[in-house]
Amino acid sequence: MTGTQVFRNACPRNCYDTCAILSTVENGVLKKVDGDPGSTYTRGRLCAKGYSYTRSVYSPDRIKYPMRQKGRGTGNWQRISWDEAYTEIAQTILKIKKQYGSTLPICLNKYSGNFDIMHYGIEGMLTSIGNTTRATGTPCWPAGIDAQTFDFGTIVCNDPEDIVNSKYLIIWGANPAWCSVHSMYFIKEAQRRGCKIVAIDPLLSQTASKADLYIQIKTSTDGALALGMARYILDNGLYDGEWLAKNSKGAEEFFGYLKNNITLEWAAEKTGVPQHVIETLAREYAATKPANIWIGYGMQRHTNGGQNVRAIDALAAMTGNIGKSGGGAQYAQLETWGFNYHAMIQKKPENSGGSGDRAININNFGAEVLNAKEPPIKMLWIACRGPITQDPETAVVKKAFEAMDLVVTADMFMNPTVEMSDIVLPITTTFETPGVNVSYWHYWMSLNEQAIKPMFEAKNDVTIAMELSAKLNQMEKGSCTYPTSGDLAEWVGKEFNAGIHKQFGISGWQDLKKGPAKAKGSLVAWQDGKFRTPSGKYEFWSEEARKYGHYPLPVYVEEMKPESKYPLRCISPHWKLNIHSQFQNLDWMDTVNNAPCLEIHPSLAAKYGIRERDSVKMFNDIGYIVLPAKISELVPPDTVAVYEAWYKGKKFNVNYTVKAIPADMGKKATGSPGIAFHDNFVNIQKV
Amino acid sequence: MAKQLGFLVDSERCVGCHACEMACKNEYQLEPKIRWRKVYPLKEDSFGLPERNFMSLACNHCEDPACLKACPVIAYTKRDDGIVMHDQGRCIGCRLCMLACPYSVPQYSETRKKVQKCHMCAERQDNGQKPACVSGCPMEALSVIDAAEFSMAMSSKTLPGFPDTAATKPTTRFIKPSVGVQVRRDR
Repeated sequence: MTGTQVFRNACPRNCYDTCAILSTVENGVLKKVDGDPGSTYTRGRLCAKGYSYTRSVYSPDRIKYPMRQKGRGTGNWQRISWDEAYTEIAQTILKIKKQYGSTLPICLNKYSGNFDIMHYGIEGMLTSIGNTTRATGTPCWPAGIDAQTFDFGTIVCNDPEDIVNSKYLIIWGANPAWCSVHSMYFIKEAQRRGCKIVAIDPLLSQTASKADLYIQIKTSTDGALALGMARYILDNGLYDGEWLAKNSKGAEEFFGYLKNNITLEWAAEKTGVPQHVIETLAREYAATKPANIWIGYGMQRHTNGGQNVRAIDALAAMTGNIGKSGGGAQYAQLETWGFNYHAMIQKKPENSGGSGDRAININNFGAEVLNAKEPPIKMLWIACRGPITQDPETAVVKKAFEAMDLVVTADMFMNPTVEMSDIVLPITTTFETPGVNVSYWHYWMSLNEQAIKPMFEAKNDVTIAMELSAKLNQMEKGSCTYPTSGDLAEWVGKEFNAGIHKQFGISGWQDLKKGPAKAKGSLVAWQDGKFRTPSGKYEFWSEEARKYGHYPLPVYVEEMKPESKYPLRCISPHWKLNIHSQFQNLDWMDTVNNAPCLEIHPSLAAKYGIRERDSVKMFNDIGYIVLPAKISELVPPDTVAVYEAWYKGKKFNVNYTVKAIPADMGKKATGSPGIAFHDNFVNIQKV
Repeated sequence: MAKQLGFLVDSERCVGCHACEMACKNEYQLEPKIRWRKVYPLKEDSFGLPERNFMSLACNHCEDPACLKACPVIAYTKRDDGIVMHDQGRCIGCRLCMLACPYSVPQYSETRKKVQKCHMCAERQDNGQKPACVSGCPMEALSVIDAAEFSMAMSSKTLPGFPDTAATKPTTRFIKPSVGVQVRRDR
């Protein structure tokens, strides 16, 4: 390729914004990236992470070729050829199948490192060898998904560009300024047009800093605040009786619960929010139309998180804000994900043993791998995932890795998960391979064109699947059903169907070469009033919830409280320069920030004799980390904040102290409950 | 009055996301440690109640640039539109400009043995485009103004933490963050 060309790409990260990118390529070299102005959501702008992409492509730290490690964690890596890698992997697969009579001892842990639709091909590859064990569920957001599934029937949100039509917006346990910066633009625009912005959060987040009103709630008591508000709205007749009569089931029972069990005094005591503030908030929220609530993923990472989401949903429903432009209870949407999953859906080979895949809980991965019996788990395949840095109970996850016969990880960088693997396969960046991306938040779809050739010896997950299939079939004919060849760009086309064409108003996937496309309708969630619950109505009373062991009504479930040994809560939210273990490792980011810290309130710091920049050991019974203190009134006096990230060359990992405590919900929609990441109780000392 | 281009930094809109800084780095493929634009956190209690606020700064394209005066080889020039340019060809890497600039703007490249700095995307602006930082900011917190005739009731020539402006007359203008109401458990 000579001359300057511009390609369309899409950011495939686990992020609300899923930005459409224009890549400038000169003589085969990616020179820069720009936001694609064709998307009215990103408006031609990326974020700090997006603008760092040339550096991740050309980072000196990229894994360049397949390598084998002599002794996990030793760093004694040797370059091997792709053929050697495939041979060793295929031999292990076939040996396991022979020894155990199935491929169930092979476990896949793949999730959100790359949400490009083609990357589901890695699941397809495992299907192609037989029945396997799958890390199932999602660490991020399942409690909230189940909550909205009980209430509405599934998750659907309004188009985030619709936020500008809100007259009142409560951002409840979300931090779009860091995690969805393009939505933050619409929030600011709504504010400019007169919308009041309220942020409810235990931390004074970046978003809260830009709000009109910040309410510092006691962590995990969000349901109590919502129910207190609901009681006030009920007592003062501020609910929408007409909407309730037409659209809901169980409103009477819910009102009965409020009358018999909820008082504003109780809500104030529980949440730490003064009663008069709750009353004003409830009155303003109920009286201003349309009023919108953005329910964050942070607030549902608790043992009562799903239940709290249900209580907030109830507020939106009782005030008739559901199905309205500018209103709603926004959580997420999967409406635009109706692809064929052609790369993923594969046939299992005949007579490969076992009677089906075995699911283990992704959110207690280490323990579940170690506890798996008949057959035990012997081999791990890790793709788009960093369990050693991102999973709770790091020590247990490491033990699970140590117990394996073979750990294969496909990755771009030498991160702690790769360090605990036997074989690493170098993976392409999003610019080196074709694909297609949609968001779980906005309603745009973007084509991802191959802009440059794969760097070094890197390969795409689907190519790896094809080539491994060829090797397996060479060794034992019929042992793998995955196609052994195929044009990746053509495979992108095979993900599309008539439903997608219609939804996005395109005549074929090639239309996306002209620019990103937006879904043509249904941009206001539940506008048609057709809820997908068993009753077809919004369900305050959910038999489905009861079936899954929850209360049928959105009643308050007690939050987790500290014990005397570990009196402080540690919240470990996202940081602005990374998405989990991605980006913060790049030297461009390192120049901006290279120091994780512990945010601690001055009164708490004084109690422990801690001054600014002092080294603090934060610990509990499963582990500890040592961090410099950052004294700040942005955190409450009973809570410390440590932002999760992987920093290259640093031992920092907040998950050393995070237990695999399940959130209350997630089982119904995602197969496993979530993780109560923010119910982490610790102690600290100056060191 | 002669034209004097400058940056307007809206610290109420700025969320400290560093997109401006990275957009700049992306546009010019800067070396990892070189920062033509930097986002500085403001002290959290600068405006009364604690908040997360920032000041995004590149070259201030001063009316009376100290770098230009300090440079012994005339590597610095000021365009008619006020942009302070630095000529890599003339620069001898003596770094006197770095000592002179009150805002730590000029950056020294160890590999090139020369200084470099923000030129307000002069070439882009000549082609009718906005500077990369301005067009890259997701919050639209940055813009280019003509400081010679700019007046806005809410704007200011400084923010807490910005160095004294008397010596060089920087052309950057600021909009202060506004502080919301806070319901807190500690006050």
